[in-house]
Amino acid sequence: MDHFALLVLQALLIAVFFAFLWKEDAPQRLRYFGKVFAALVLGAIVLGWLMLPFPRP
Amino acid sequence: MDSRNADVAARTLSVPVLIVLGWLVPGFGHLLLGRRLRALVFAVVILVSFIVGIALQGELILPRAGEPLSYLAAVASIGNGVLFVVARLLGLGDGVVTASSFEYGTSFLLMSGMMNLLLLLDIHDIGVGKKEW
Repeated sequence: MDHFALLVLQALLIAVFFAFLWKEDAPQRLRYFGKVFAALVLGAIVLGWLMLPFPRP
Repeated sequence: MDSRNADVAARTLSVPVLIVLGWLVPGFGHLLLGRRLRALVFAVVILVSFIVGIALQGELILPRAGEPLSYLAAVASIGNGVLFVVARLLGLGDGVVTASSFEYGTSFLLMSGMMNLLLLLDIHDIGVGKKEW
């Protein structure tokens, strides 16, 4: 698996876990899952993009 | 639907026992408290994370002298409960530092352990009645 696929898998697992840990009913869980999943994936992409000018030596 | 089962578990098992059982087997504490769906979801998420971590040649970190952060990582690793013990008995989780997936694998293993530890707090809250659902 490439790194992005692993990132998405990890974000998926984390989002499902916290949606069920912190939210009581299905609609709340779905909304929370979407927010956390999007934040993790998009956040990682943005961070990766910001680090682009600073490659590892 | 859940409260009756929770009452049964609460009558037969004390909260500390529920916490220990929940630590040993991810999701088991919630199952004993009658939270079947959540127990199933938590067990699947933690199991998948753990298996992926092992498959990616991650390391189940143990304390290393002179490395204070390894103690924290060891807490997370041991948080996997029986999964940690079984993996160690099978000779898994040593980690292959040269593998390109090593860091990801270790991250998945730490994540599954920390998730299981977080569940123990949830079991406590449900067990003492702080959390209704």
